[in-house]
Amino acid sequence: MKKRGIGVGCMFYGIGNTGMPNPAGAFLDLTDDGTVLVLTGCADIGQGSSTVLAQIAAGELGVNIEDVLVVAGDTGVSPDAGATSASRQTYISGNAVLLAARQAKEVLLEEAAGIMAAAASDLCLRDGHVWRAGEKTPLTVKEVLAACRKKGKLTLGSGWFNPETTGMDETGRGAPYATYSYATQVAEIEVDTETGKVSVLRLVAAHDVGRAINPKSVEGQIEGGCLMGIGYALLEEVKLTEGRIGNPRYAEYLLPMSLDVPEIHAIIVEEPEITGPFGAKGVGEPALIPTAAAIANAVADALGVRFYDLPITPEKILAALSAKGDGSARMGEIT
Amino acid sequence: MKPFRFTATINGRPVDLPVNPHRRLLDVIRDDLGLTGTKEGCGEGECGACTVLLNGRPVNACLVLAPEAAGCEITTIEGVAPEGGLHPIQEAFLEAGAVQCGYCTPGMILAAKALLDKDLSPTDQAIKTAVSGNLCRCTGYIKIIEAVRLAAAKLSGEGDAV
Amino acid sequence: MNRRGSGCLKDGPGVIGRNCRRVDGIAKVKGSAFFAADRKIDGMLLARVLRSRVPHAVLNKIDARSALEVPGVVAVYTASDIPGENRVGIIVKDEPVLVDDRIRRVGDALALVVAESEEALAAALPAIKVWYEELPGIFSPAQAMAGGAPAIHGQGNIQSVTRIVKGDADSALKEARVVISRRYTTQMVEHAYLEPEAGLAAVEDGQVTIWASTQNPHYDRREVARVLGIGQNRVRVVQAPTGGGFGGKLDISVQCLLGLAAWKSGRPVRMVYSREESMEFSPKRHPCVIDYTSACDGDGRLLAVKVKIVGDTGAYASYGPATLKRAAVHASGPYQVPNVFIEAYCVYTNNPTAGAMRGFGVPQVAFAHESQMDLLAGALGLDPFTIRLRNCFQPGSATATGQRLIQSVGIGQTIEQARAGAVQLGVLGGKR
Repeated sequence: MKKRGIGVGCMFYGIGNTGMPNPAGAFLDLTDDGTVLVLTGCADIGQGSSTVLAQIAAGELGVNIEDVLVVAGDTGVSPDAGATSASRQTYISGNAVLLAARQAKEVLLEEAAGIMAAAASDLCLRDGHVWRAGEKTPLTVKEVLAACRKKGKLTLGSGWFNPETTGMDETGRGAPYATYSYATQVAEIEVDTETGKVSVLRLVAAHDVGRAINPKSVEGQIEGGCLMGIGYALLEEVKLTEGRIGNPRYAEYLLPMSLDVPEIHAIIVEEPEITGPFGAKGVGEPALIPTAAAIANAVADALGVRFYDLPITPEKILAALSAKGDGSARMGEIT
Repeated sequence: MKPFRFTATINGRPVDLPVNPHRRLLDVIRDDLGLTGTKEGCGEGECGACTVLLNGRPVNACLVLAPEAAGCEITTIEGVAPEGGLHPIQEAFLEAGAVQCGYCTPGMILAAKALLDKDLSPTDQAIKTAVSGNLCRCTGYIKIIEAVRLAAAKLSGEGDAV
Repeated sequence: MNRRGSGCLKDGPGVIGRNCRRVDGIAKVKGSAFFAADRKIDGMLLARVLRSRVPHAVLNKIDARSALEVPGVVAVYTASDIPGENRVGIIVKDEPVLVDDRIRRVGDALALVVAESEEALAAALPAIKVWYEELPGIFSPAQAMAGGAPAIHGQGNIQSVTRIVKGDADSALKEARVVISRRYTTQMVEHAYLEPEAGLAAVEDGQVTIWASTQNPHYDRREVARVLGIGQNRVRVVQAPTGGGFGGKLDISVQCLLGLAAWKSGRPVRMVYSREESMEFSPKRHPCVIDYTSACDGDGRLLAVKVKIVGDTGAYASYGPATLKRAAVHASGPYQVPNVFIEAYCVYTNNPTAGAMRGFGVPQVAFAHESQMDLLAGALGLDPFTIRLRNCFQPGSATATGQRLIQSVGIGQTIEQARAGAVQLGVLGGKR
């Protein structure tokens, strides 16, 4: 028999390292032809930080992302940005790049103000042009750059950002993170009571990321996190015997595969963070955190039997169902 | 072990080189020919990162010995794109956001190509099955499946135009 | 200070919020992204590590003479070849690059072989003789924390303890309408990124450059410099395109060994882990035992939680102390709880090292606190969404650590929107 269940999982997650300084720096060089060179220590391991940082630099300087070149993770040229961990790089390196871009922009705007006999504070950059009081002017960024170079002015910037945190005292009091991301996921699952197999049918994943700099990339994080969360809930386990791993191969360590993929509906919630770059927080880890919780609750909903031990494998389910059949389960729960 | 003369067509070009018969096709591709787009993820045919096409059929190059591939037409990721451009499947992977770390991407694209070379209107289930030998730990497969669907549409569209 | 937006465009111009294509996408779809294992330098050597097959032992002696006679073997390095400090670690410097006194887990690095070919490496490794004296192993935190347990490191097996105390949880339990106590256990998990660890090192003009698959190049630089006993001005770490990490590439893997091999041999050296090596010796997600008591009033409002978390960090601290600290901070979930008593223990054993993995201890505690919320809701006949909305953080709420949340507190919105999404799809309502 197949039994369906629905479960909810919520989470919050502090962005950045816990209760300690964890700054990131960035350098930026706006070259003669309008290229924006961003030097960052931030390692892109596939999550897409280099793209997000390029968008932030382009956004601040009002140029196209195609004009941005990000050189990342080379200690010979880029400042320390700390680790790609703790879902921290969009928020922390994002702010560092934003500040570096702002510094270079100030040089440009000052020069533009001189050319236009305007106040720099009335000006901004967009679409490669200087805008004045919300109106596009014919003056281009490239022309302003040429004017700067004529006077021997370079357009460079450096920025660093350290989230405002405190340590925790011996009772744990403190403000260990500058901001938190939030999420709720709803899982719909089906349990085959003959085989004990749990199939995840649909996941609805609502994530407050502050602001999605690149929504498709945020979705990609959520979808990937959900699948890793399915593995955590139902499949994955490193098997140990006296400290030795018994299943160190893909053939033996079960991972979710394409055929296990449920419908995943990512919902991006934007509660802008005032200290974030354009309001952004982080999503990398939150993507996975509530998934196993939601699935465990859905299994309990389907079977009336709750599991307290991950992963919830077919063997555990069959054992619990037969125990329940015996009437040996207390209050419908296996403890 | 005495080397044998390995002759095959790789990405449309003939190759002819001495190879130890114990070598895997993967080593010939990566080390002897320098085509490093084909990745090694596990070396035992479980992850699909080393997927190449052998006479149009997707295989794990880590499980194929060089002599087994002799005389075959081999396509690696380097042979997918037309000169100076991208193949519609590659375009679709970028457009759909199907690339994250990129390590599974070459194998995924070749698995997708093997499917779409035969079927330009695959069901989602057919797509999932076609890439079921290829592991991805980043994307959750959703955008990869979307990309293959999108590529199918692009390729059918092109077909209509021609 | 308001850092959001700039100048006259508070919301950020068109490029923010747009689905820009990945800046590294074209190289990745064409197969021209150059991962560490794809790199080659003329005259390059290959390296492989001889690892311990026992979990706990005193290392007496390593004899590599026969290995050095294997044709193509250039060198075998052991701990005594390390010019600088032979301990690394992001939080605690407790892990040897090459074991010099005690083996603490299966997989500890004993010797590094450098050779002209894979064949030479394969022949050399079994030719190395190792003398050791096996010690009884400790394979669970309970065993490690028991009185009289031998210390895996000098200072006892409890690496760190985090305590969070707010209000008076014990008194609040007595006032509560519903009290639920359960034990939750979670398993050890592997990151399983598709790209195994890899790197390449070369020395030129007295500077060593290491291209590596890594999540933290600047940390790598610090460690390589310390291990080689040189300044950071003589070390350059370049992050190669990295095929996933999920926390598993935050610790040192190949970096220091490659630095050592290139530095000592003067030749470029490449090392690539096999899948099995990657899965056996990379850090894992902490298995945890979580004892959780929750209490609420008749409306389902949380009055107190008491949580004890014990995490098995294995042989070395890695990110363990930070993982357990984060687990503690997040243990009460995104809910306002006036009375809290949380303890989190990070414990050494002779198991594989557990370090950072996506979520840093929070997936473990989320499984527990969310199961508890459903149990409370069930006891009171409340809907799972209702009990969560009733307790979730609002602007102005205080966390377990007493941090006041002022703005960007979206938990309530995510609950509402997830529910609305589920209703719209027919997951909730009508269909059950």
